[in-house]
Amino acid sequence: MVIAFSLIRLSPGDPAAARLGAGAETEAVEALREQLGLNKGALEQFINYMAGIFRGDLGVSLVNGVDVLETIQRTFPLTLIYITLSVLFAFIISIPVGTIIGWSNKATAVYIFRGITAIIIATPNFFIAMVAILIFSVQRNWAPVFGYVSEFPENLKYLWLPIAINTLILVAIISRVLHTSVVDTREEEFVETGIIRGVSRPRFFWFYILKPSLAPTVVLMSYMMATMLGATVILETIFSLPGIGRELVGAVLASDYPMVQGILLMFGVITVLLSFIGDLLAYALDRRVKI
Amino acid sequence: MSSNKAFREDATRRERLKEWVSRPGGFGIITGVVMFASITLVGFIYPLVGPYGSDEFVGKSLEAPSLAHPMGLDQLGRDVMTRVFSAVPIDIGIAFLGVSIPLVIGTIVGILLGLSKNKYFKSIVSSLIDGINAFPLLIIAIAMVAFLGPGLFNVVIILTIMNWARYARIARTRAVVVLQQNYIEATKLMGYSRRRVIRKHIAPNVSSESLAYALSDFILVIIIVSGLSFLGLAARPPTAEWGSMIADGRTFLGEAWWLTVFPGLALCWAAISLSFIVEGLSRRDRGNA
Repeated sequence: MVIAFSLIRLSPGDPAAARLGAGAETEAVEALREQLGLNKGALEQFINYMAGIFRGDLGVSLVNGVDVLETIQRTFPLTLIYITLSVLFAFIISIPVGTIIGWSNKATAVYIFRGITAIIIATPNFFIAMVAILIFSVQRNWAPVFGYVSEFPENLKYLWLPIAINTLILVAIISRVLHTSVVDTREEEFVETGIIRGVSRPRFFWFYILKPSLAPTVVLMSYMMATMLGATVILETIFSLPGIGRELVGAVLASDYPMVQGILLMFGVITVLLSFIGDLLAYALDRRVKI
Repeated sequence: MSSNKAFREDATRRERLKEWVSRPGGFGIITGVVMFASITLVGFIYPLVGPYGSDEFVGKSLEAPSLAHPMGLDQLGRDVMTRVFSAVPIDIGIAFLGVSIPLVIGTIVGILLGLSKNKYFKSIVSSLIDGINAFPLLIIAIAMVAFLGPGLFNVVIILTIMNWARYARIARTRAVVVLQQNYIEATKLMGYSRRRVIRKHIAPNVSSESLAYALSDFILVIIIVSGLSFLGLAARPPTAEWGSMIADGRTFLGEAWWLTVFPGLALCWAAISLSFIVEGLSRRDRGNA
């Protein structure tokens, strides 16, 4: 939180001047600085801001005077739903893929698998999205890009394509990590013991292979969720979904300084929370992991 | 490291190359290097010898690809092919700066951290590093644009502020290991000056790991630079840059696919070539085929 604040505060720019544009008069800039509390010392600003946070007050938007917290509450659920769904689908797909390829370890399969996933990871998500729009929205009208409707059955029509793209990228990342750790787990002695003891197939794959292999994946996942937030900024802008990412871009383009700070703070809290949950889950899966 | 055998003394250059490629990951590395070199060369040469300028209006707007204009014309009648290739020095150049400056700063800070005996310096800088690393890069970059203003130069500043911490962490971990090695002990016995030990003995051994990370970071940074431009936060409109060209093409996706697809393919080409190199190198490191 301190970092979020100081990064913004110490960056060599003047939000008041940026907001009003280059040709603004000095008095106008001064007035806005006064209004934002920028003319006070850095420490005092920080204390004021922190006090505001504990009262649940993140300030109001400079553009339309809406409460920042309210905006976050309005836009965040959509982003959350869509990230959660794509992570869920990604796990459902990549667990079998990663395990099977890691276990069979056929040279050609591994080669193709790593090649394809490397290509998917290296391709920027906005380009994947544009090509998908070209195929699904422009040529056939399967996934409309404008005019999001938030009622339940209709909104799936708008959401399925961004979720699918997110899932595709996540599957590439997760299954790669899972593949690597399954290959590592195979070398462990308890796997051999499992084979010798003749443990039943499903039990063997779950307890002897998957469970110890999942720990690194889960830790990575909590880190990836944070990165996903960045990716959604772009996808939400492309698919014009009214989520928090699009709000952030809009706020940045309008130099809406309290809004940017509020959303950033939100992201910071989520990131810290996620890494904590990730560590706990990893420990639950593999007790050898130290927290 | 199963196949790290030395080259035969009497091997010709061609045989050596062949053997080098046949070692694990060689194919990926060669493919990646050739792909990357080709786009860089074309990017630096084509704008000089090509028939059109990147901001020159050469025909009517949104003209479909033809022999004269293999990638068509954009909404203002500019040649897309010229623009795609003139974007290479900008995209790859900015990404290069955005990787190399943090690499140098981060590695120096990391080595100092490893060497330092001052408790306060250590704990303050370490928590700063962890704090910066905790944030998703793209989000912070977007937020900082709000305060620095959009622009490619500002992107380099942001990447420097944000990215040095990752390199510092890698270098710190590595420096602690290197400092315990016998050869560092030996330099002390030989009475070398502190500066010489750091420059000639610690820095090269620490930076090998950072360089490996820098290569994969390069992919990420290319994607971030173009992603910021795509959102209209980095390159400003007249500049030919892949991300902003794709964003321009978005409006005309229905009638003119070539505006979006060709810059996107160029971007993928650059990123994928690097990822082949990274993949090949890591394969070689693990030593399996």
